[in-house]
Order: sequence, then C-alpha cells, then structure tokens
Amino acid sequence: MTGAARLTTDQERELVVATEAGDLDACHRLVEAFLPAIAGLARRFPRSLGVHRQELLQEGVAGLLFATRRYDPALGTPFWAYASYWVRKAMQDLVAELTMPVALSDRAVRGLAAVRAARNEHLRRYGTEPTAQQLAEATGLGRSQVERLQTAARVPRSFEEPTGDDRDGAVADQVRDGPAEEAFEQVLDAIEVREIRALTDGLAERERAVIRAHYGLGAPAQTLKQIGESLGLTAERARQIESGALGKLREALARPAPVRRSLDSRT
Amino acid sequence: MSSEITELRHDAFVYGSQDEYVAKAVAFLREGLRRGEGAVVANTRPGLAVVREELGPDADAVTFVDVGSAYTRPARTLAAYHAVYAAQLQRTPSLRAVADVQFGPEPSEWDLWTSYEAVFTESFAHLPAWVLCSYDGNGLPDRILDSVWWTHSSVLAHDEWNASDRYRDPGPLLRQIAARPAPLLGARSIGFGRDVEEFRERLAAELVSAGVAEDRALDMLLAAGEIADNALRHGGGVRAVRVGRVSGRFACEIVDAGRGFDDPAAGYRAPRAGSGSGLWIARRLTWQVDFLRCPDGFAARIVL
Repeated sequence: MTGAARLTTDQERELVVATEAGDLDACHRLVEAFLPAIAGLARRFPRSLGVHRQELLQEGVAGLLFATRRYDPALGTPFWAYASYWVRKAMQDLVAELTMPVALSDRAVRGLAAVRAARNEHLRRYGTEPTAQQLAEATGLGRSQVERLQTAARVPRSFEEPTGDDRDGAVADQVRDGPAEEAFEQVLDAIEVREIRALTDGLAERERAVIRAHYGLGAPAQTLKQIGESLGLTAERARQIESGALGKLREALARPAPVRRSLDSRT
Repeated sequence: MSSEITELRHDAFVYGSQDEYVAKAVAFLREGLRRGEGAVVANTRPGLAVVREELGPDADAVTFVDVGSAYTRPARTLAAYHAVYAAQLQRTPSLRAVADVQFGPEPSEWDLWTSYEAVFTESFAHLPAWVLCSYDGNGLPDRILDSVWWTHSSVLAHDEWNASDRYRDPGPLLRQIAARPAPLLGARSIGFGRDVEEFRERLAAELVSAGVAEDRALDMLLAAGEIADNALRHGGGVRAVRVGRVSGRFACEIVDAGRGFDDPAAGYRAPRAGSGSGLWIARRLTWQVDFLRCPDGFAARIVL
C-alpha cells in the first residue's frame, strides 16, 4: 500500500496512467484517493493568508493532475513522492498570486486562473491559441467575461482602482465560498470541464461523425459503406470526408511558423 | 534601430535573485520592443505577475505565457512554445523570449529536460528568435546548473555574458543521455492490412478493446498513421505491427523494411518548409516515440 492513498503500487500506477490517458472514471478515483493527502497539504497554509481552503484544494487537484501528465512510472519513484511537489507548488503559486501586490483584483485573478488553465490545455492538445469562445466553453465563463479578463491581464491596474466593481462581479459569481465538504464535488466538476476537449473540435459535425463511426470511437465501428448509407452518401464520398478531416487535423498539428522569405531560404 | 535577429539564438540566464531576474528580463524584452521585435515571457503565474508589474505600460506589447502546466513532455512543451512563437511571428518579424524551464524535483527526470534544452536549439533553428532560458542560480541543484552550460553556447551570469566552453553539440549529448526504451510487454502482432486505412481500423479495434478514451485513441490513430506513412514512403514497407504495453501505457510498434536512421532529434524539429512533419505530429500527440532496431527490421514504437 502506498501511504498517501492506500492503494497498491500497481493500482496506483494503473490509475495514474489511465488518468493521463483521458479515463475520467480513473481520474475521479485518483482524485478521491489522494484528496485527503491534498487536504493535508492545504491545511499547512495559514488561514490568515486569506486564501480559501476550497481554492487551495482545487489548485492542489490541478497540481495532482499535472503530475499525472508528467509522471513516468518507469523511473521508479512512488507517485505521491513525485506529485506532492507539484501539488504544493500549485498551492504556493496560488497563494503567491493572491497575496502579492498585483494590480488585478483577487476575484479577477481567480477567473483568470481558470482561463489560463483552459488556454494551456488547449495549447497542449492542439498547439494553437484558443479563441475567446473556446475558452468560454472550456471554463463556463461568458465570452465577454473571458475577453475582459484577458484584456485586464495585459493592462495592469493601479492599487487605487476599485476591486469590487461590476466588471468583476460576474466572475466573482463563478467562485463560490462553499464549506469544505463541497470542495470535493466542485473539484470534480472542474475536472470535467478541463477534460471535455477533443482534437476534433475544429472539425465539422459530419467530419467528426465519420471518423468516430469508422474507427468505433464511442460507438460500434462501421464500414465506410455503412456510414455513407446512414448519411445518404456513397462510400467513396464518406472516404473523401474522412480523408479531408484527417488532412485538416494534420495541417493544424504541423502548421509552420511564419518566417520571412529572406530567412526561409536559408533553412 | 531595427531587429538583428535572423535565426535562433538560444542562450541562458542564471540569476541570483528575483530582483535580478525581473530587472534583466525586462531590460532584455524592452530592448527588443525598441527594435520592433515581439516579446514573450514564460513563467509560472507569480513570476509573470512581477514581470508584468515591472513592465508597466510596456506589458501591453508583451505575450505572457503561464508555464505552470506546460512542461509535461519535451515534445508537447516544444509544440506549445511553437504555437506561441508562431502567433507572435504573425505580428512581428522576429521575437525575444525569456522562458523559465521547469525541471521539477525528481533527479531521475532531469536528463529528460536537459534533452529538451539540447533539442530546443535544433527544433527552432529556423526561427528569427532570441530565447533566453532563465535559471534560479540559488534555488536549483548544481547538476541542473551545470547542464545549463552544456545546452547553451552563451550564458548570462554574474552580470556578464559568458561563452560556454562546455557547450556540447545536441546530437551527441542527446545520444549520451537518452534512456533505453522499456520492453514492450504482452506484445501481439495485429498485422498491417492492405493499406494505412485498414491499419487504422485494426489499431482502432485494439484501442477500443483496451478501453482507451476516444480522444486519446484518435491521438494514437493519427500518430500511428503518420509513422505508417513514413514506413511506406521511406522504409521499404511495413513488415510487422505489434501492440502491447510499455510501463502500463498502450503501445504500438511499426516495423519497416528499411535501413532505419540514427537521428536523436528526429520528430523534434518544428514544422518548416521543405521537411516532413509526420514525426513531429506523432511525438506531440503521444507520450513517447522510440526508434530501435529489432530482428525483423527497424521499429518505431509509439507509446500513448
């Protein structure tokens, strides 16, 4: 048994690997197993810092999930020995950000943290900058809220500016001050939001449907002939749609950075 | 005053205090802004906040990148930076960046991030960018601080630029610190089929059977499709396809009939005119891609 989560080493590794591979059920079980250990680290931060325990837990869970994306079981280090550093660091970064004399209000910083997490996840998945709409969908914030937060992040405000005006009110509504026992469910909700993403988001609905049906992703696999019949198309047309969709994904994943022609010729 | 950056300059900056980090990073970025270059600063949120505050109104012209969750696997980190640099180069002809590398606490993975630093030079060699990697000279272990001088030909430390006499060419360094591929457990042949499409169908059935999440299954299908395409075009055809597990992860091994290659930076070079991007795509979508010689040919092993 591992000390932090009372899992066998094999169970722990399976959960970590499955979580990194996108298995939401494994993700929930992993968080559930390590939440007491995360809460233990959160309790080490004095309440006088003014950071809510629930926020520390959420950052801690984000740190745990980050650790799953980086942890290599082959290196032989027990998971919690590895992950606790990232959990603690995530909490420390939040505390530093909320307590340092930055120009944004702390409520705006909290909303901005969600936007940044969504942006990073998008970058990791697609290698492209997300649109404001994509960030809004990923965070549950309104598009205008996202845009205001992004603008605010680039334009520091002075200390004297009011921090509780209407501009931030809607964002503040997203951060509830629930009791500690609510934190767990909210943490899991946050996980759902972060994980519901797909490489195929940039494709048309019909393109997604053809790929998923052909390769049995989320439904029994079908031949291109069957897919074509269900869509009122020929098999060849279904093949063309799939080929075009795969080409779009490839192009998005391998788009070169623009380099001026005079420079380009030397590479 | 105009930009003189025409190709990648990948240097390091070892700082002794946060004040020194902020002062030098901001001076470096402002110099670029004066020359019409783009400016990027990558750090954790607290690090970004202090730089933003010091920049004042100049922050409007700077791209801030939160690296709190960016350093997971070298290929993914490179892809994330590539997207940021590509977006910046849409707006300016060249750029400067200050990036704080996240080596983490585990000594056994430091070599992996030293590899990342080494291959960064190869990855972005074609970009008009001056990237300054920042290292906390008081907070990081000596082993990491030593490696800074292997992977950067020029290092800003103790208030002066130093040419590194310990700099090593990326290729030999990557070979030296590369980990040996772990064994493919439970390996099972699934055959290739008539073409890449049938191969993807077979592989998809294996992924579904193994309970791999849809999105990640698609990642593997795309990565494996790229490798299979390469095997058909450059490797004399596919001889075998095996699936199994590597350290608990789903893995697919594609064996071709070619002589193979010995290029430790293969797949890490960012997309550019005149070169293929299949391995870049495969690496960024998966945990790891290894190349190895085996009794039946030259194998590319993709670990999801």
